[in-house]
Amino acid sequence: MLNISRVRVGTSTSGTPAKTSPKDGWRAFLLLLPAFAFVFIFVYLPAGMSLVLGFFHYHLAGVDTTFGGLTDFKEALTYPVFWIAVRNTLYYALLMIPTTLIGAVLIAFLIQKQTRIYAIIRTAVLLPYITPVIATTISWLWMFNPQYGVLNAFLGLFHIPPSQWLLSPAMAMPSVALYSLWHNLGFAVVIVLAALGNVPKPVMEAAAIEGCNSWQRFWKILLPFLSPTLFFLVIITSITTFQAFSQVYALSGGLGGPEYATTTLLLLLYQTAFQYFHFSYAATMAIFLVLIILIFTLIQNWLAKRWVFYD
Amino acid sequence: MIRQQKHFLPGKYIRVIAACLIAIAFLFPLYISWNTSLLTKQNLFTYPPHLLPNWDFDNYIRAWHMGAWLMYFGNSLFITLTTLAIALTTSVLAAYALSMLHFKGREWLFFAILFVLMVPAEALLIPNYIILNMMHLINTYWAQILPYGASAFGVFLLRQVFLSIPSSYWDAARLDGAGHMRFLWSIALPMARPTLYTIGLYISIGAWNSFMWPLMVTSSPNVQPIEVEVSRLMISNSVDWRRLSAIGVFATIPLVIVFLVLQKYIIQGISRGEGIQG
Repeated sequence: MLNISRVRVGTSTSGTPAKTSPKDGWRAFLLLLPAFAFVFIFVYLPAGMSLVLGFFHYHLAGVDTTFGGLTDFKEALTYPVFWIAVRNTLYYALLMIPTTLIGAVLIAFLIQKQTRIYAIIRTAVLLPYITPVIATTISWLWMFNPQYGVLNAFLGLFHIPPSQWLLSPAMAMPSVALYSLWHNLGFAVVIVLAALGNVPKPVMEAAAIEGCNSWQRFWKILLPFLSPTLFFLVIITSITTFQAFSQVYALSGGLGGPEYATTTLLLLLYQTAFQYFHFSYAATMAIFLVLIILIFTLIQNWLAKRWVFYD
Repeated sequence: MIRQQKHFLPGKYIRVIAACLIAIAFLFPLYISWNTSLLTKQNLFTYPPHLLPNWDFDNYIRAWHMGAWLMYFGNSLFITLTTLAIALTTSVLAAYALSMLHFKGREWLFFAILFVLMVPAEALLIPNYIILNMMHLINTYWAQILPYGASAFGVFLLRQVFLSIPSSYWDAARLDGAGHMRFLWSIALPMARPTLYTIGLYISIGAWNSFMWPLMVTSSPNVQPIEVEVSRLMISNSVDWRRLSAIGVFATIPLVIVFLVLQKYIIQGISRGEGIQG
């Protein structure tokens, strides 16, 4: 099985003579035209626009677009809800990243055996990942119901006092994270399983013969082997958590409440643009979101240089 | 050895039991939805919750009459299949050009495709809305399809496959008088079949499950996918939970069936990192 971190973006490996011909040039132009038309109109052009949009006051319905300079940036930086959204987005990422990593590694170790029963269990773990978010949040909203929900009933079995879940400002974000974990963990588990399949058997056997116990084998051998995959997971999980929208929207009734507790940057961006029709302000928020992702990625890369072991 | 085996046996059972508990935990929310959709009214508001269905199919009948579900299903299906057809075609053609043809600037164009993977999607939302608005496509099917008309990851994966085709195949095909299109259709595509399935599956699941973008660019139910209508009913807060659950069940079932049938390709796709788009 291939793993993205192992794929080399190399040049041609096929043995066809690498001579360029004008005939091929025309063919290539025709074949590449459709893909590049889409890529240009819906990726390059908007990417360029996103950089300048924040400096203008853009109105959809005919009103003249005026140059606003840095007013939108200033407005964003002084808007308290914006900072709450920044904090919530980071909080959500911090809830999701460690739980996804630890959960995925634990579950992958538990179910890695190639027997029939484990194959069925693997199917069950991955199934939520492909279910539609809105349709499955219905079930979770009912499970989170403080009065009649099954989660409080479950806690009651262990004499743990009931929680208000999505209705309490303190528990709302962890509740959303619990849903997302259920929905996305299977994806991470499959990635860890693929990596476990690549760990060379002789190394493990040699370690066992040398007298390493399973605890030492895990920390000293498996974890270093898995570290590139885990790093890949950290990046993927942070990207998907920064993009979280559907589950936050559905579980908070489209509002991001209670008391802004689940207002993430993307939800605020949506509300700003499509409920208050303040487009350039929303575009400014997108720039901040991209900056946060950039800073996060740089920190992760810096950490990876110190921790990740590449063979 | 014997002592070790004896010691190991209970561990094995604990492992199976723990794994089964995890599987149950992942399936349980889906069960709850199904169970709630089949409860009678008296059994809905009870504590502790009623965990066995009453087989009250009346909820499904009422839920079905609550909206033009066939239309929403049809919308989702049309958007999904059209996106699939366009994105697969553009990816295959581009990947073929970037692997089998030789021309100046090939590597540069390939990097221009790869760069797409690095552009954060959230930066594109507002500008793309403005672009579609200028094209007068807001509130149409096309607003939900065209932005996904090319799959950079699809091009990337297909190019890898095409590069692995030995050049002797192309030489032989050319001697037999086949042109590039013929070679692509009869040799290259059949060889890329598993990759095509994987890419196709991810484009389809992504299109079917997409929610934020349709919510932004559409307002008329006539062109909206089923997810948007479900969210509207959910947020209106006026629908009986049992019926809402029934709606949740029939919006989820098509994907569960697709998953169970095509699981192999989904897992292959994730292992290659295709899930990035999802």
